[in-house]
Amino acid sequence: MYQLAIRLLLVIVFIISPDIYSHDGINHSIKGKSKADDAAQCVEPTELMQKEHFVFLYHQRDKTVINGVRTKNHSFANCIDCHVSYDEVGEPIPINSEGQFCQTCHVQTAVNIDCFSCHASVPRGRKPEAHISLNYNHLEDQVSQEIEKLVSYVEGVK
Amino acid sequence: MSTDIKLTRRGFIVKSISVLSTVYFIPDLFAPAQAAKPLHEEVKSDTKWAMSIDVDKCASGCTACVDACVEENGLYGFDRPETDSQWIRKLTIKDIKTDKVKVVPMLCQHCENPPCCDVCPTGASFRRVDGIVMVNQHTCIGCRYCMMACPFKARSFVHENLTEQVTTAPRGKGCVESCNFCVNRIDHGIPTTACEEACMKEGHKAISFGDLSDPNSRVNKALKIKQNRRLRADLSLKQRVTYSNI
Amino acid sequence: MEKIIFRKFQIESKTFWMMFFGLGFFILVGYLCSHYMETEGHYVTGMNNQIVWGLPHIFAVLLIVIASGVLNIASISSVFDKKLYKPLAPLSALLAMAFLISGLAILVLDLGRPDRLIVAMTTYNFKSIFAWNIFLYSGFAGILAIYIWTMLDRNVKKFSRPAGVFAFTWRIVLTTGTGSIFGFLISREAYGTAILAPLFIIMSLLYGTVVYFLIVKAINYFQKTLFSEEILQNLRKLTLLFLFANLYFLILYHVTNLYISKHLDFEKFILLDGGIYTIAFWVGQVVIGLLLPLFILFRDENKSESSLMSATLLILVGSFLAMYVIIIAGQAYPLKIFTNYEILESSFYDNVIHTYIPTIWELGLGLGGVALSLIIVLIGIANLDFLPTIIKSPEAKKVAESDS
Repeated sequence: MYQLAIRLLLVIVFIISPDIYSHDGINHSIKGKSKADDAAQCVEPTELMQKEHFVFLYHQRDKTVINGVRTKNHSFANCIDCHVSYDEVGEPIPINSEGQFCQTCHVQTAVNIDCFSCHASVPRGRKPEAHISLNYNHLEDQVSQEIEKLVSYVEGVK
Repeated sequence: MSTDIKLTRRGFIVKSISVLSTVYFIPDLFAPAQAAKPLHEEVKSDTKWAMSIDVDKCASGCTACVDACVEENGLYGFDRPETDSQWIRKLTIKDIKTDKVKVVPMLCQHCENPPCCDVCPTGASFRRVDGIVMVNQHTCIGCRYCMMACPFKARSFVHENLTEQVTTAPRGKGCVESCNFCVNRIDHGIPTTACEEACMKEGHKAISFGDLSDPNSRVNKALKIKQNRRLRADLSLKQRVTYSNI
Repeated sequence: MEKIIFRKFQIESKTFWMMFFGLGFFILVGYLCSHYMETEGHYVTGMNNQIVWGLPHIFAVLLIVIASGVLNIASISSVFDKKLYKPLAPLSALLAMAFLISGLAILVLDLGRPDRLIVAMTTYNFKSIFAWNIFLYSGFAGILAIYIWTMLDRNVKKFSRPAGVFAFTWRIVLTTGTGSIFGFLISREAYGTAILAPLFIIMSLLYGTVVYFLIVKAINYFQKTLFSEEILQNLRKLTLLFLFANLYFLILYHVTNLYISKHLDFEKFILLDGGIYTIAFWVGQVVIGLLLPLFILFRDENKSESSLMSATLLILVGSFLAMYVIIIAGQAYPLKIFTNYEILESSFYDNVIHTYIPTIWELGLGLGGVALSLIIVLIGIANLDFLPTIIKSPEAKKVAESDS
């Protein structure tokens, strides 16, 4: 029993050793600059966002995937778009890399997130709302050609 | 009324047909704007997304649709063709009776009775009410039963860690994925898929996409012009992707 | 006067630990293999977008089928009330549990996202036979636990029969479910027929019976447990019966397929020109797995134990190849997407017979699973009174005291 207690103690000491629990309480400086830096407030009050952001994300996640709701406020893509930092040359820094927006807190609270095994960690590719116009030029060309043909046919008959 | 401008017969015919043709094309140009749903609204079952593929117009050697899909969804592979994902692919097929060779694009057929959704243990494979069959990658456990069930080999499993995903198409290791009719575009009011857009830009117009409940949609026009067929009709899956000239 | 008592596994501590660590090593290797597959992704395996289920699934399905089959002995004793088998029932239930757990472990560890097991356990799609199987498997494990309890604890002994009957019913449904995983796949020509469910049941009875025999023989190597000549002869008869039944259902399955003209090409592939798959079918599943054991059991007029042992080993080799034919060959045959067209070219291998070469990682996971089932049995029999032993009455008390 005594031995067991000693071993348990050792395990506890190991777990809370500074190596593993290393957050020193000093604010991490985030490298680069993000759009959010200039914003007065996030989509909800900051304190609420700090505590409940995942609730919003989970909620929006199912609404988006299953029901096709694409509102911007609680959209994951939008979070990244706003909070991702850009370095001096304007390149986005992955938001889950060390010292960046997501990672800073999640390291501190030891909550592992696997969002970025699937989601892009920087804005990449086409903008969701980008306007895509179907190129009808060739159609119009075709139509006018057909019309020309028709007209010459009609003329010919006359 | 001034009669200074002479209206020739030729001019009259050209102008009137032009006007008529605009009438014919305007619904196409503006239909998207009307059909687009506001971002905050949920999709409804009275929208019925569908695709018609005219096999005779599909050009041999052209991979515009495949390339566009790769770019749209960030499907960059690892040069391992056996495990790399393919959402749309081109097949060369030969008629058994006539020996006539054709090329067809194959993609998820978006069945109304999808076998993949029937077998999925967690319900991650699901059919959205507007007819899009897709994978909810938040609940997919990667069992690959849907791949066993699909008669069209439309699905791929992500076999490795990915890093270059695009924002509009999240995808990752250990989940199954397939064509989702460019759902991100549709939800943002862009009523065309990347493959259809590419096929149009190439000038082939083999792919027509649209809403079945909109009589003026491109897919409905294509369906009206040529008789369309479903592949493996014996399975009664009621696919939303249909083929003509096959 | 002779008496049957249940004892723990009487084994030298050194031998026990050697076996324990031997099996433990395989389990560790299996876990590391699955971990590697999970972190790297499945491209390190032989599985791909064409052969989506591979070696791990052969192991897993085989273990689950065996799990349902080894309960046979217990079912005979409780459901059909045969006194002769009563002493063998607890071990039978323990084996069932061990094989079920290890089969499931392999299945789970081969998932693309094993970390989402909790999702699989909480989100159900009740239209999916797979989801039903999750219920059937976990329910079976629970029922087996209760059944074992009713057999080992004298206070609840009276519930042993109803528990046994319930377990029997459940496992018939369970194997039907396992067979239906394949039977419900309409798109593939190898599957999509309901005969697969009874075929799986009969396979489970055959494989379960011989595995039970094998394991009891292995235990008897160390410790004399009750295994009378009468039981041996009965097992022999059962094996013969199940071999015939298995052959019957296998023929039925292929003849049915031959009559479904859609499946004709696949039948030609399996029976005639499928290369390795045809060889695996004829040599493995039919000759090694069924005909040869039948021949051996018939030829041996002395009805000796050694002939049953060689038949057992052949049946187990055949069982593995049978699973290979059902699972791999069924996927290797390309899908028939077009009815009137032949596919000439495809970037996605739509027109070729797929080949499957498993890698060491899959093999490690599979063997780890087998080791897991054996270690569960080892720990079970070494710690609880599972093994029936015949002893002379006066000694009984002494032995009972020394055991406790």
